[in-house]
Amino acid sequence: MEEDTRDHPFAYGTAASTLAARNGSSRRLTDDEFDRYSRQMIVPGMGKEGQLRLINSRVLIIGAGGLGCPAAQYIAGAGIGTIGIVDGDVVETSNLHRQIGHATSRIGMTKVDSLITHLRGLNPLPTYISYPTHLTPQNAADIISQYDLVMDCTDNPATRYLISDMCVLLCKPLVSAASVQKSGQLIVLNCPPTAQGLVDGKYAPCYRCCFRKPPPPSSMVSCGEAGIMGPVVGMMGVAQAGEAIKILASALHIPRQVTEDVPETNLQQPTLLIYTYDLESAVGPYSFRALKMGGRRKSCFACGAGSTLTLEGVKAGNPNYEQFCSIPTSKANLPPEERITAAAYHAAKEKGELPEHILLDTREKEHFSLGSIEGAVNVPFGKLLMKAASIKRGGGSSTDLLPIESSKPDTPIFVVCRTGLDSQETVETLKELGLDNGGKRKIVDVVGGMRAWKQDVDPSFPFI
Amino acid sequence: MTPKPPKGHFNILYFASAGSYTSKNVEALPAPLPLRKLFSTLEERYQGIRASVLDHSLVTINLAYADVPDDKAPEDKDEIVIQEGDEVAIIPPVSSG
Repeated sequence: MEEDTRDHPFAYGTAASTLAARNGSSRRLTDDEFDRYSRQMIVPGMGKEGQLRLINSRVLIIGAGGLGCPAAQYIAGAGIGTIGIVDGDVVETSNLHRQIGHATSRIGMTKVDSLITHLRGLNPLPTYISYPTHLTPQNAADIISQYDLVMDCTDNPATRYLISDMCVLLCKPLVSAASVQKSGQLIVLNCPPTAQGLVDGKYAPCYRCCFRKPPPPSSMVSCGEAGIMGPVVGMMGVAQAGEAIKILASALHIPRQVTEDVPETNLQQPTLLIYTYDLESAVGPYSFRALKMGGRRKSCFACGAGSTLTLEGVKAGNPNYEQFCSIPTSKANLPPEERITAAAYHAAKEKGELPEHILLDTREKEHFSLGSIEGAVNVPFGKLLMKAASIKRGGGSSTDLLPIESSKPDTPIFVVCRTGLDSQETVETLKELGLDNGGKRKIVDVVGGMRAWKQDVDPSFPFI
Repeated sequence: MTPKPPKGHFNILYFASAGSYTSKNVEALPAPLPLRKLFSTLEERYQGIRASVLDHSLVTINLAYADVPDDKAPEDKDEIVIQEGDEVAIIPPVSSG
């Protein structure tokens, strides 16, 4: 084992509760506990000892949404003694198809309070601690240091990197899941927790070891934009709770001392579970893939040798998570004559002042199918870019991008998208392909997209 | 199940945004292919995929993580080569929840 003479922040991992959990306190179970947990206690490998470890454990669930709701239900049901929940949002109607710990009667309530209401009904025995706030670099250490294990149920890359870094610095195991549209991922990180800087191949990786760079913001889609199937995210949240219970019941969450011999069971390779749910093939096989991941990466920014990440640094804004996750992309900068507001477009059309034109709507076809401006033609942005790329490589004519009936080379083109970003890029792309015919054809962006249309023109428009 | 790749090919699976970018879940590519040439091979087929998807994705070969070397690195007799019949996967991070 590699010698490392640096100070390790074990102080955070040796709270009284952790020691009790390690030893599995030997108290009697109450009658209620005995009844309530009997069916899981008789499962081989759990027993009274495992149950007492759960009762003595403290779990932090960050995010009370599609992952956090199902995860929290099983964490509470299993009898984890102290459950902290962090979320700064309030319950909305569009959450309820998947965020099953909330209720129609609690729309408008903070998600944290709503979920705890639900969990108390399920199991009143645990202590519930609510943090009705977003996790930030400033509050993260104070909150996370109070717990034995962290569950990342959040919805954005910046928070994911922050949580992983804090778990490395505070020596906490991290059960991380994510899900969007039709696929989900689950991975157990930093477990058993090992001090920052120890790298000799057999230590568990952190989030940065697996995903070194965040995806560019333009390629990131949220559940609000791309959609999400309830059972897909639910499956990942439930699996997340399963992993957390396993870790706590077998005391794998205890930070490892440098000198300790590592039991064989701890050395299993970390696994990334991928779930793909194919809406198009209802009778196909279930697609779960378990991928073997590597260990801790020597050069990892957070946990690797020579890492400069510190608690003080994070609190002071170093690294800058927001900046790290929002690398600027080439935003089109169109002149005013190539832009028109949704309201102005509508007014001109109503007065008959608009010449014959093509209106391209670049939203995904599911969005388009819910409603569109009269006469709009759907060319989804992703497909348009692909086609544009192949035309640039010499495959086909640029007019293939346009609907067939509009063959006149000076018919103006208006482009509208969901919120007004893709449409600007589309205008740029069409110009690059020469579709403006040297300025003879006007190509115009509808500012603010269909969101602006709903806001300024038609409040009844079904915008998602 | 994914169909077996034809002779002289390997299967490549595209997850999450890799699937949206290529409009495919799976395809067969000619084998053998040195792993360090994987990204440039895909960039040729799907212009822009490197910056949008590949640079932040992880890659597995036959269900195990593989470290993709820099494609400008010189040829190395010990380098990983994707073989006929292998299953390669491109796995971008997913963030939502």
